[in-house]
Amino acid sequence: MFAYIARRLGVLFVILFGSSYILYNLAAISGDPLEALRTSREPNAAQQIITLTRELNLDVPPPLRYFIWLRGILGIFVGSPDFGEARTGQQVSEMIALAIPTTLRLVAGATVIAIVLGISIGIITALRQYSRFDYAMTFVAFLLFSLPIFWVAVLLKEFLAIQFNNFLSNPTISPPWLIGLSLFSGIFWAAILSGDRKRVLVVFSGVTIANAALLQVLSVTQWFADPGFGPIILFLLSIGVAFLVTHLSTGINNQAALRSSIAMAVLTLVLYYPNQWLFEVDAKKVVFPLMVLTLFVVAATVPLLFSRIDRGPIIRTSILSAFIMGLLTVVDKLMQTWRPYMETDAVYYRPVPTFGQTNALLEPGNFWMTFLDLLVHLFLPTTALLLISFAGYVRFSRGTLLEVLNQDYIRTARAKGLTERTVIMRHAFRNTMIPLTTIMVVDFAGIIGGAIITERIFGWFGMGTLFNQAINSLDLNLLMGVFFITAFLAVTANLVADLLYSALDPRIRAVSRSK
Amino acid sequence: MKVTRKVRFAIAATAAAGLVAGLVGPAQAAPKTTVSIVQSNALTGLNPSVTNMNLTFNVDVAYLSGIGFNYYNNKATLIDNTVLGTYKVVSQKPFKVQYKVNPGRVWSDGTPINGVDLLLSHITSTAQYSVIAGLGDPGDSDVTPVFDSLGYGGIYDEHIVGLPQLSADKMSVTYEFDAAIPDWRLVAPGVAPVHTLVLMAEGKTKLQSVAANNAARDKFLKYFNTYNKKALGAIGKLWSTAYTINKVDSSTNPLLLVGNGPFMVKTAVPNGAVTMVRNPRYNSGPKVKSLKTVVFKVIGDGTAAAQALKNGEVDVYAGQPTADAVALLKSMAPAVKVIGGDQAIYEHIDLRVGPAYGTQGSYNGPFAGMSQQAVDLRTAFLLAYPREEIMEKIIKPINSSAQLMNSLMVFPSEPSYKEIISKSGVSKFTAGTQAERTAKALALVKKYYPNAAAGSGSVKVKLLFGQPSNTRRVAQAALAKAELAKAGFDLDTTPTSGWSSFLSDSKFDAAFFAWVKSAAFQSGNVGTYETQANDYGYSNKTIDAIYKELGAKPLSAAEVTARFLKVDQELIKDAVTLPIFQHPAANGVSAKLQGVNPSPFSPNLVWNVWDWYFTDK
Repeated sequence: MFAYIARRLGVLFVILFGSSYILYNLAAISGDPLEALRTSREPNAAQQIITLTRELNLDVPPPLRYFIWLRGILGIFVGSPDFGEARTGQQVSEMIALAIPTTLRLVAGATVIAIVLGISIGIITALRQYSRFDYAMTFVAFLLFSLPIFWVAVLLKEFLAIQFNNFLSNPTISPPWLIGLSLFSGIFWAAILSGDRKRVLVVFSGVTIANAALLQVLSVTQWFADPGFGPIILFLLSIGVAFLVTHLSTGINNQAALRSSIAMAVLTLVLYYPNQWLFEVDAKKVVFPLMVLTLFVVAATVPLLFSRIDRGPIIRTSILSAFIMGLLTVVDKLMQTWRPYMETDAVYYRPVPTFGQTNALLEPGNFWMTFLDLLVHLFLPTTALLLISFAGYVRFSRGTLLEVLNQDYIRTARAKGLTERTVIMRHAFRNTMIPLTTIMVVDFAGIIGGAIITERIFGWFGMGTLFNQAINSLDLNLLMGVFFITAFLAVTANLVADLLYSALDPRIRAVSRSK
Repeated sequence: MKVTRKVRFAIAATAAAGLVAGLVGPAQAAPKTTVSIVQSNALTGLNPSVTNMNLTFNVDVAYLSGIGFNYYNNKATLIDNTVLGTYKVVSQKPFKVQYKVNPGRVWSDGTPINGVDLLLSHITSTAQYSVIAGLGDPGDSDVTPVFDSLGYGGIYDEHIVGLPQLSADKMSVTYEFDAAIPDWRLVAPGVAPVHTLVLMAEGKTKLQSVAANNAARDKFLKYFNTYNKKALGAIGKLWSTAYTINKVDSSTNPLLLVGNGPFMVKTAVPNGAVTMVRNPRYNSGPKVKSLKTVVFKVIGDGTAAAQALKNGEVDVYAGQPTADAVALLKSMAPAVKVIGGDQAIYEHIDLRVGPAYGTQGSYNGPFAGMSQQAVDLRTAFLLAYPREEIMEKIIKPINSSAQLMNSLMVFPSEPSYKEIISKSGVSKFTAGTQAERTAKALALVKKYYPNAAAGSGSVKVKLLFGQPSNTRRVAQAALAKAELAKAGFDLDTTPTSGWSSFLSDSKFDAAFFAWVKSAAFQSGNVGTYETQANDYGYSNKTIDAIYKELGAKPLSAAEVTARFLKVDQELIKDAVTLPIFQHPAANGVSAKLQGVNPSPFSPNLVWNVWDWYFTDK
């Protein structure tokens, strides 16, 4: 094993330095950094050419200049790597250190949601192969697959930001929109909830009518201008959550679980006003963790009142319900912040932004405003990335699970009388995860490399933007810095993926290959 | 009667309701006082005079936070800022210019501005001073001088004599030059809060009292007059590096933010927005009309910037000058208006006459030399060059009011343009239709290549014009190739990576690219065609003499025009070059924002921020 890893690391270095040498020279001959000065009529252009030549070592030919750069990088081995200075005078290492968190913030949320949603939908479609739901999801997946991100982003900005902001100035839904939206959601849910014709019709008409009614109420009350649940609706939603979570977690027949979940809903209602007060206290760093802690402690102890036996699943159900109800309370608080947020000078009644990470004009100090500001800025890029990447996970997990389900050991598992739940979750799902894990690891390296287009469109200054800037301004130090980090992560991620693969799948042993 | 009364009542009720609604409605009515401007790259520093720091964003921020003796307006005219002070020639022989600061002008920390604040500019633009003070030789190819300035080697550096002399009351400074330099107004010294540099060099991190500031400034004067290497070394290091910051918040040393401009940096998010607020003590320049805050926001992508403009997140966007981008901005009317214009950059086609001045080797291409054949072939090439088509197809979609440029000396917007083109003989290249001109060109080519015909490719011409990724240039080259083929030319239009380093390479027979003007020098573009500066081996004694004259002493406008006309005549007679177009600009501006009037020179958009205001419609 050790020899194998050592050999892989050796190859890693050869790849890194070989490719960086090639890239450096290609980039160096791709343009002339002195172009602007050569075409300038500035009287001291000649002096400026001397200066720039000195700064960028342009008098050294690129194949040799590479080693000037390399000398800085090799400082890694003595603990002080020097990535050099970008043409903008900043340290490349500082620029990258600033860019990586930005990129992570941009893509991490979208990737996690895409993985969770994608895999769960992929599994359901595989289990219900060739059902209406499967066809619907296949259609959606291929549709999303074929959308280029720059186009999706432009559309999202037009409809979810510009038009939505226009709509907010008079938030009443016109009849055509009301009918259209209701019909669409009716068709959507009818396609997803499979069943016989009668059931589909019931679902379709039910959803359509319910939606129309809801939208009409929201429209008449101008809810979008000043949204919020209020204690009553929050309580009703919590009851719904209690039933749903119990149904999924233990089955609705488990009376103790249902009761403790409902108790959580009642607590949510009772604590509504105290929570509002706590949300506004100053010492948020102390109070918020305490609130979270209290939530979990209460959720874990209340079920003890309802049951003496088999407490594990009940506690689990209760905690899950309480967590979701807590989230709903936070969402309610954010909705209450919506109107004051819109009314600030910084936002000026156009709350959904099309670019950037924060609103620079927003006065700092108000936690909820800042939080909401962060969320609205994440909204469009996350949605765009989610739409694009989610489809891949759906298709991949569906295909893998279908393949696994046809394996002999699944038939064996069924033959020996295991429940379907055990067969799927223990035998099939875990084996499905093996190839998915490796994909996720490699994806991670890709994430750091930056979503060049996405970052550019949404004005986020991450790794992709740096890369783009480096190419456009012929900034070799910056380009090589970004490349080096990205390539290093990509190669390392591949190694990690291989090792994980062998760890997860006993049939593959890395050692055997090193012989 | 009843009906009327009802109607009246209804009107009154509606009006009352409207009034009430107006009173309780959202406070959207007041015009905005915050303007948001798009920048395409991030801020990298607050001192754009440092090497590498001369980027649009840095220049804009520095322009708003510090104002000097003059600035360019939208007509490329240099406007004197008489609020700050005055300047005049006080002696012709020796040539002396005096700059006088008006009393009562203050920095944003309350310190009065005086003549000492002008002296830093001498250090950062005089190589000689740097050498004498032991701060490094800017001409050295290995060692960076302590004041890592962009200013060395300019007109000022070339002509300044000795140290600037401070008057007894310290309010004026007199500069002596070795000749009557015509562009003396352009070398006006910048004003800089030198006391902040001294204080920072002493380790101060807070604003000091006016008395302490004055004392620090006196120290600077002493260092300056005595070439104090140690003290100036520390100050130079700060000047070159301390302003290279992309983050400004409450922890930033306030001494770095002291200025005399209308706005001062309040916050800067790394790689993000920069917020500038009014300088409460501002009294060094034009009155600010109504803006209270200027925010620069970074958006690299053109479509994204246009959509942000539509969404009201930004108010001004100096757009990418492409037809698509302009069409997108125009589609957003009436919320957005497109303000077009010309930049001080002009595209032109050059033909090689010989090897570049000072290079080895020879040039034997079709255009070599001044023989009748070479002149005829060059004339034929320029006749068949489809300048009008390029204009119509490539430039007009961006700026519909753009004009074909016919003088290499002046832009169409300049007053002398009409006179010059009517007499320069350029009509030879503009008369008739393109088809007629191409036919004439073919006839000329046939004189030397009897077999020449449309598509014969008799004369092989290798063209240099730009990066393969520059789609506008590639399109121009394609149009040129097609039209020139009709006159018997075979144009090799392979784009070149790193094209600008081949400008003096005799491999290329012709080149089209753009010259970038940065200021309105008296010598104009004449220097480009002077023997020693010419990459195309063109040498003309008349032009060389005129260049010398224009650089020797200030001339009247009529005298300058006469010389420009002569140069244009020579260039056209020898058929070595023709201008094509001025690079277009396209700015998207929120319909509510008034007063935006971009200048062709840097800082193009924000030069008159003080005049901007919002209407509430």
